[in-house]
Amino acid sequence: MRVDFSYLPQQFENSEEIFADLRKLVASCDFTLGPYVEHFEKKFAKYIGVRHAIGTNSGTDALILALKSLGVGPGDEVITVPNTFIATVGAIVDTGATPVFVDCNSQMQMDCDRVEAVITPKTKAILPVHWSGWPAEIDQIMQIAEHHGLQVVEDACPAAGATFRGRHCGTFGHVNAFSMHPLKLLNVWGDGGVVVTDDDDLAAFLRLYGNHGLKDRDHAEIWGVNKRLQPFQAIVGAHQLETLDRDLEKRRRVAARLDLSVQKFSDFIAVPPRSDGANGAYHMYMLRAQKRDELVDFLRSKDIDCKVHYPIPLHLQTAAKGLGYKRGDFPECEAQAGDVLSLPAHQFVTDEQIDYMVACISSFYYS
Amino acid sequence: MQKFDIPYIALTERLRPIKNELLTAIEQVLDSGQFILGQELSRFEQEFASLVETDHAIGVANGSDSLFLILQALGIGKGDEVITTSQSFVATAAMINNVGAKPIFIDITDDLNMDLSKIEAAVTPRTKAIMPVHLAGRPVDMTALAEIADRHRLHIIEDAAQAVGARWRGRPVGTFGVANGFSFHPLKNLHAIGDGGMITTNDAELARYFRKARNHGLENRDQCDFWSFNSRLDEIQAAVLRVLLTHLASATERRRLLAKRYCEALKPYVTVPEEKEGELHVYHSFVVQADERDALQEHLSKNGVQALVHYPTPLHMQPVARDLGYDKSSFPVAFNASKRILSLPIYPELEDAQHARIVTLISEFYEGRSSCV
Repeated sequence: MRVDFSYLPQQFENSEEIFADLRKLVASCDFTLGPYVEHFEKKFAKYIGVRHAIGTNSGTDALILALKSLGVGPGDEVITVPNTFIATVGAIVDTGATPVFVDCNSQMQMDCDRVEAVITPKTKAILPVHWSGWPAEIDQIMQIAEHHGLQVVEDACPAAGATFRGRHCGTFGHVNAFSMHPLKLLNVWGDGGVVVTDDDDLAAFLRLYGNHGLKDRDHAEIWGVNKRLQPFQAIVGAHQLETLDRDLEKRRRVAARLDLSVQKFSDFIAVPPRSDGANGAYHMYMLRAQKRDELVDFLRSKDIDCKVHYPIPLHLQTAAKGLGYKRGDFPECEAQAGDVLSLPAHQFVTDEQIDYMVACISSFYYS
Repeated sequence: MQKFDIPYIALTERLRPIKNELLTAIEQVLDSGQFILGQELSRFEQEFASLVETDHAIGVANGSDSLFLILQALGIGKGDEVITTSQSFVATAAMINNVGAKPIFIDITDDLNMDLSKIEAAVTPRTKAIMPVHLAGRPVDMTALAEIADRHRLHIIEDAAQAVGARWRGRPVGTFGVANGFSFHPLKNLHAIGDGGMITTNDAELARYFRKARNHGLENRDQCDFWSFNSRLDEIQAAVLRVLLTHLASATERRRLLAKRYCEALKPYVTVPEEKEGELHVYHSFVVQADERDALQEHLSKNGVQALVHYPTPLHMQPVARDLGYDKSSFPVAFNASKRILSLPIYPELEDAQHARIVTLISEFYEGRSSCV
């Protein structure tokens, strides 16, 4: 038996409806913004529950636009976590601001108890990540931010569809970012992203800045960038929104079954605590495992395509040299980097495959 | 919106005959399951490199990003100045601003490209680079520009967004600067079905840097060498571009033929963009300079022909440039040209009869006026 991490061939096996729209797109040649992008944006905004959704060329671009719209720039500090994909920090640095890390908690999310200690007069924003698609403790983060007069940008890149106390991740912060990278649950056929906000003025800025600062064809109001969502990706995204809830349901079922099945390995394997009120999107299904590297090799030898997200925390990356961190600064994050693994647990994983993975884990630890 | 018998752009006409070819290319990407940084992109990069006769071609998300990444790679930032033309699309200047540097505009000449004789007066100790724009597909005199840049030890970064295939003295644009940017925006001669861009360079080290910089600074999946953003050319765009690349040579030939005919027929009435010695102009746009431009545009429009102005507001007169200290007297040639320029329809699908109709309308317009005098 094989268990693949990627499911794209299965997901897009029957894409006739998408192709029908692509044919219309190629016939209409609306290749820059236009009706398909507008349609997707409205649909996404409605699904998530925000006033404005603006398509972007990637999740990274969505983060950059979000920070820029809040005026984050050189001299500012932005608080985030060291256990995330590097783009979170790449976006902060792109604006000219300095990333400031706080450790994560056992749920692999920003440790709210540590945030206040790193706030300085230069702090402009807090950028929590709903890491792996699991909701961060966003209510507490919002409280801290409000208390200190800070902005919040949610990195909801891995978390489309995740909810916290019934409300979608990506609707709590002032401006928030989503990714539609092919490996995300809500995915398109290449790079794509969305930045969302309830604030009309911020939305107007996001649209202006992301399209060369052009208020009309001939007049540039501000120096801008080109971070537009491609119409063909908007078409794919709009179709994916139709099936997102169904796919989420399947992933949650797979995750619940895995949670239950690995309980018997509690001497070796820990499931991150599943807090009340949080309904994860399970972009990744992450566990913590003893002898992680050997387990990964073993499972791969059994055709189970598991992965490690990620073995090197951000503060220990070559890129972070100038930031002044060292090993030992974020013990929880560093411990997790040493023992996390992600099992294939997407919407196409079958019960048989789950049982097979569990059997393989069992034989690794017990034989 | 007015429907024109002869629109300025006829993208739908271009894509109709190859629609199935494009959809098949997209389907193949879908079947491969590889949507980012895969085989289609590396093949397209090789094909593009060989077209432009450069060692390295690196696909990026759009033309703006290509310029931004180049400026960043050369360490150009706060306190630096980059000399560029006052007549271009706004992204040229925006990218200079976005890396933290200051765009320094200079005037243009009658050919609408930057006036090279004005460069030296604009050089200061803060100048780091010159960014020529091959506007409308006409190559800048790169021999003269290289001499000036060498003398002042300045980088050249070509903005070749509008000029794929153009040559200066037989050598393709995109090979003169240290690294150079192209755009595949839908209205470009070679285009994607959305945004796309390319960086060309003969510098292997820069090429390696660009490959990382467009992909989060990643050396490999787990190791990040420097913080960066994400500016990748999608596999689907690369696949589409590969299809359109096979049609580029014939499309360029047709554009040049139409341009030649325009030049011959319209010369008595307007200033035409004739090719000069050493130039291979690819006529991304065919821009004439006309007396009574607005009336001519109106006359064409009334008769079903859409002509546009690229661009009515020079960069130094844009609202965004208000703090840079220029006014309309700063660059008289650019300012006067902005009142006289008109882009006529020019695309491979423009039929001979349509072309002839445009010529007739323009000659009628001026003949009619002169007979009234």
